[in-house]
This record gives sequence, C-alpha cells and structure tokens, in this order.
Amino acid sequence: MSSLSASAAPAEAAEPWGTDQRPSSSLAPQDLVEILNQLFLARYFDVRLIKEKKRGHLRGTLYSSHNQEAILVGALYGLEPFDWISPIHRDMPAFFLKDLKSGWRNPDRIGMSIQEVCAQIWGKAASPGRARDNWSHIGSRKKRIIHSTSMLASTVPVAAGVAYSERLRGSKAIVLTFNGEGATARGDFHEGLNFAAVHKLPMVTVIENNMWAYGTPLELGCPTPFVADRAKGYGIPGLVADGQDVFDVYDKVRWCIDYARAGHGPTVVECRTYRAYGHGDHDDDRANKYRSPEEVAEGRRRDPIAICKERLVELGILAREEADRYQPEGKSASEVRDEDFPPDVVAYVREGVQFAIRSPYPDAEEAGWWVFHEEGEPQP
Amino acid sequence: MSLAAESAVGAKRNYLQALNEALHEEMARNPDMICLGEDIGLLGGAFGVTEGLLARFGSERVIDTPISESLIVGAAVGMALEGRTVMAEMQFIDFISCGFDQIVNNLATFHYRSAGEVSMPVVIRGPAGAYGGGALYHSQMNEAWFCHSPGLKVVCPSRPYDAKGLLKAALRDGNPVVFFEIKELYRRRELEEAVPGPDEIVPIGKAAVRREGRDVTLISYGQNVYHCLAAADKLQEEGIQAEVIDLRSLVPLDEDTILASLAKTSRVVVVNEAPRTCGFAGEVLARIAELGFEYLDAPPVRVTRLDTPVPWVKPLESYVLPDVEKVALACRKVCSY
Ligand SMILES: Cc1ncc(C[n+]2csc(CCOP(=O)(O)OP(=O)(O)O)c2C)c(N)n1
Ligand SMILES: [Mg+2]
Repeated sequence: MSSLSASAAPAEAAEPWGTDQRPSSSLAPQDLVEILNQLFLARYFDVRLIKEKKRGHLRGTLYSSHNQEAILVGALYGLEPFDWISPIHRDMPAFFLKDLKSGWRNPDRIGMSIQEVCAQIWGKAASPGRARDNWSHIGSRKKRIIHSTSMLASTVPVAAGVAYSERLRGSKAIVLTFNGEGATARGDFHEGLNFAAVHKLPMVTVIENNMWAYGTPLELGCPTPFVADRAKGYGIPGLVADGQDVFDVYDKVRWCIDYARAGHGPTVVECRTYRAYGHGDHDDDRANKYRSPEEVAEGRRRDPIAICKERLVELGILAREEADRYQPEGKSASEVRDEDFPPDVVAYVREGVQFAIRSPYPDAEEAGWWVFHEEGEPQP
Repeated sequence: MSLAAESAVGAKRNYLQALNEALHEEMARNPDMICLGEDIGLLGGAFGVTEGLLARFGSERVIDTPISESLIVGAAVGMALEGRTVMAEMQFIDFISCGFDQIVNNLATFHYRSAGEVSMPVVIRGPAGAYGGGALYHSQMNEAWFCHSPGLKVVCPSRPYDAKGLLKAALRDGNPVVFFEIKELYRRRELEEAVPGPDEIVPIGKAAVRREGRDVTLISYGQNVYHCLAAADKLQEEGIQAEVIDLRSLVPLDEDTILASLAKTSRVVVVNEAPRTCGFAGEVLARIAELGFEYLDAPPVRVTRLDTPVPWVKPLESYVLPDVEKVALACRKVCSY
C-alpha cells in the first residue's frame, strides 16, 4: 500500500550544507563507534522489553522502536546536553539515549538513567513520574525532556513555548521534538509549527515516517509525497533523511540543530523508515490484516545496524571481523539472542531491568498527591 | 468476532458485537449515513467496533481519517448540514478533547443557531472508562463536559442490549449524541445476551431498574452499575435491600424513575467513576434535592472518583476509583442514619 522509497528525492535542499562538509565528517572515530553501540543498545532494549512483555511482566502497551533506532540515535547524537527533547510513544530508548555520549554511567549526564526508564516501564516508585502515567509519558525539567500526554502532537506547541522561553533568557538551547507522520495531521502540530516559524524559534521537528499510523497508511494522512513538504507552508526548511542510515539522520538533523542555534528558526526533518511490527504489541497479529508480508519484509530489509556497520568498515574504523562479531541485524525479537549483542550493552540493560524489578511500587495514597501545588507538599 | 451483517434474531451478543451490529444495520438502512474515524476502515477500529463496515459499504461511506479529531467532528457537522447522518468515532473517548471546540460550539449549537432549520444527526462514540490500567489518557469518563453543553444528548449503556438499542436510537434521533461506550465491558462473556432486532431501539431518556429493593436506591451508569449490583448482593446478606437504577441516558435524564424509586426507599447513593467536583453524580443529587427532598430520610451520598486524574499502576488506580466496598460502605452509612 505504501511507497517505501526511503531514498527518494528530498522535498528541499537534499544537502543543505552545500559546499560545506557533511556534519558527520567531523565526528571522531570514537563517536562513530559510540553511535554503533547506541544502535545496539536501542535494539537490545526493545528486544528485552518485547520478551518481558510476552512473559507477562509488563502492563500497558509496548510500541516497538525496532528498525527505527537510527532516527533516535542519529537525531539525539547531535544535541548538546542542555538541549530539550520530546519523545513520543515509540521512542522509549530516547529517554536514556539523550546525552548518553557524556558517559553511560555518568550520574551527571542530562538524560534519564536506564534505571529510571525501567522503573517507569515496570510501574515503580523510582520512575521520574512515580508511575502515575504509563510508558513514554514521563519527562524531567532537570533532564530537559518534555513530559508528553497521549494526545499526539500536543507537545509541538509546548516545544515552541520552551524554545521561545529559552531564547528569551538568552540561552543557546534548542528543542528537538519527535512525531510520527500520522501525528502531523493534527492541528496542534500545525499551530505549533506556525508559531515557531513566525518567531523563528530554535526548534527542530523530527518526523518518524514509518509509513503507517496504526492501521492507516501514509497516503490517507498526508497529501504530499513527503511529510517534510508540510514545512513549505511555514516557509521553513523541510529535509528528508534516510531513516535507516544513522549518519544521514545525524547529518540532516545536525544541520537543523546548528541552523536553529544560529538563530535562523525552526525546521522539519522527515526520516523515512518502516514500522517493524504491529502498531503496539496488541496489534502484532491484526497488522497482518492491513499490511502484506512482502511489504513488511521490504520495509525491514535495510537494517540500520547493518548500514552503520558497513559505513564503519568502509571508513576503516572497524575491521570486518569486528563488525561481524555481533549480529542482531535482520533478526526479529523472537530470533535474536543475548549473544548477538555486545556484552556491555546486555549488562547495561540488565542493570536497569534488575533495578526496576527490585524497586517498590508507589504507595496507594500517593494517588492523591500533587493535584495542586501546595506549600510543604511531598517531594519525590 | 462474528460480523453483524446477517444478524440471527435472538442470538447472544457481547457489548462490542452489539455495537457493531447496530452500525451495520443503520448503515444498511440509511444510505445517507457516513462513518468517520481513525483506523475504522482497514483495521476495523482499534477495538473492532467498526469491523466489516469498509468491506460492506465502501471507502466513500466508511472513511479512515487522518489523526485529526477536530476535523472528524467538524466534517461531521458539514456532512450533517448537507443532510447526512454521521457516526464519528473517537479512538478513545479521552481524545475527544482534541475535537472539543467543534463539539460544544459548533455541533451542539447548530440547531439553535439555525432557528431549527438544520438538525445535526451526528453520533460521536468511543471507548470510555477506567479500571483497566489505562492511566490518565485511556481511562477518562468526561461525560460531564458534554452534559454541560446544551444541545447534546449523552448516553452510556452498560449492557449489550442497550448498547445496540441506544446506538440505533442515537443514529435516528436527529440530535447530536455523545455516546459513551465502556471498553472494559466490550468483551465480557457473562454479559452476552440477545439484543434488539433490526427495527427495535432502546429509547433515549429512559432509565432501567436493574434490581428492586426497598431500603436504599443506588443510581449509576456504565461500569459502576456492576459495582452497585455486587454491593447490593453483599448488603442483602446484611438485611439491606438495595434498588439499583441504571440511568443509561444522562441527557435527557429520567427523573421519574429516580423519584419513583426514592418514594419507596427514601435513601439514595449515587455512584460515578468520574471525578467528584461538577461530575454528573452532583447533577443527580441536585435534581433529587429540588424534586424529591421530601422523600429523603437521610442525607444523600456520592461515591465518585477522587478529584484526581486516573493514575496508572493498580494500587493507585484502585485508590481513586469507586469499588464494591466503597459503595457498600456508603449504603450502610445512609441506612444507619
Ligand atoms: C489525539 C490522538 N488521537 C488518537 C490517538 C490514538 N493513537 C495513538 S498512536 C496512533 C497512531 C500514530 O501514528 P504515527 O503518528 O504515525 O506514529 P507511529 O505510531 O507510527 O510511530 C493513534 C491514532 C492519540 N494517541 N492521540
Ligand atoms: Mg507512523
């Protein structure tokens, strides 16, 4: 049903850096290796959650980020620690990927720890929101992650408000928001973008175009060939990235980050990818009803981990044997084993999961706390 | 799920099948009817309420919309203005807030503004209610927002028979109706029952007495009806006979059934999973105070959600919501006054 041409021509400015170098060309070798490791981490985290969910250990709905990791890693890698993000339901890894390059176990980094994220998913008191709302509905002013609601695209106006406010303080921070392509049909998306464009706000809008919004294909939600074309209505750059290629995502998003930081205003970056499984784990079987197996196979053919490895081998950063040592690529959650991932990745996720399992639930009475701000209220 | 296309009269249906059957029958009966919503066609709806409609009636009358609740309602208004009947689905009733302006300012007031020229046969329906661990945005009972907007009818069935009969009545009513479905009841096996036939409806504005009793009247709707019935069982063992009223329709409200019951019991407890302040339970008590004060032998009591959002994890969710024990406790209180 959907067209899968991830590499089709961009809406505007295929390579907006013109004669300058691509942003990724100035990444150090250790950054390139870190990026691959973050891809492994995002994939393994998702796989682990799928397994935990199948075993009945988790409540709520799991929206897998499988096959979309390059968007999260590539977009977030170009941020400064003090920048803001707003992830969506499919972006669970984004909460710990933010500022991860400052050190996976660095307590001072400005991103959530894997322990906090797992505590949230397991519904435990150590969650940043004390498990009051589920899964991706967490945030942190300290960590500069916008607290989202379920209402799709409702964070776009909020992101614009944060961006406006930061700039008013003379800060250099920018705000990066993630949205599915389906969510870009909502009024909030357009109202937020319009205001951001009017005021040239430092805001980057990343669209994860995985071709499906639940059971509705792209063409029933968006009339233009590229979702990024929506930017034209606001007179701002709309870029298209290959969402399977972490470096293409990095390049395009990084260009937009620099553009925002330089005061030129907001941008849209559409990252084209494909949703690997059902909309949520409840939809895995039903999704076969509205998507053909051929389409799914085609959409998953270009695994972001494989593409990243190839690049590192090409650049001589990794030897072929090193690249082949761990091979989760192309495997679904049910096929892949812990041995397919680097041991430090597995250990890192295990620390989060173990912490969550051992943590207590919040006390029932907490349900009544924090409806209003009051003097002397409990501090989490 | 069996498709309702060929409904065997008298066959048992669950709540979800009953709704599906109503939509099939009304779409077949009324060629001017259109269905709008997110994922209602190809997928058949997030829960399956619209299963089979696309295949049977085609994509011109069964529209998979973009994720745009305001558009869904606004377009329904336009279609109704042109003379159509529209079923507009909210994927979860919580998301109705994203179409709020179109509902309360446009849809609700159209007939009034047009001095009766234009009626708005639009049914906005969607899955509502807590108790399933849906957290803040998949648990809401926000019916009070719409009861407070003149021009809208508001209904909430608690069983398959009413689900089908009320949905058919709503689609034939000629007024906009906000239709609260209880998603926790969609697939409850023990509720399966025979449902109204193709030409039958359940009239809007009529409550049902689900259990007779002489000591206290329990008034509720939706899921809370079952909390009331279970509490009534418990209380029976203690010698308290509770009468249970299922309102089914909130606007218009069946005052007669309420008052007739109060004339008998003289005591009342209203149960509602929505938050307390300005919730519909308060409206029921206000009517009772105005119309039935002299019947009362004890101060009336509300059992509602605390004035909080619905939190996610189970102990917190249970803490804020009405349950059988809280209802029974309230009954004991009014009966010992
Ligand atoms: C305002 C609103 N309407 C409907 C929904 C229900 N819903 C949740 S996710 C989803 C599909 C989202 O698609 P897309 O934006 O493409 O993101 P994806 O899930 O594909 O990552 C829908 C319809 C919602 N969360 N919010
Ligand atoms: Mg999508």
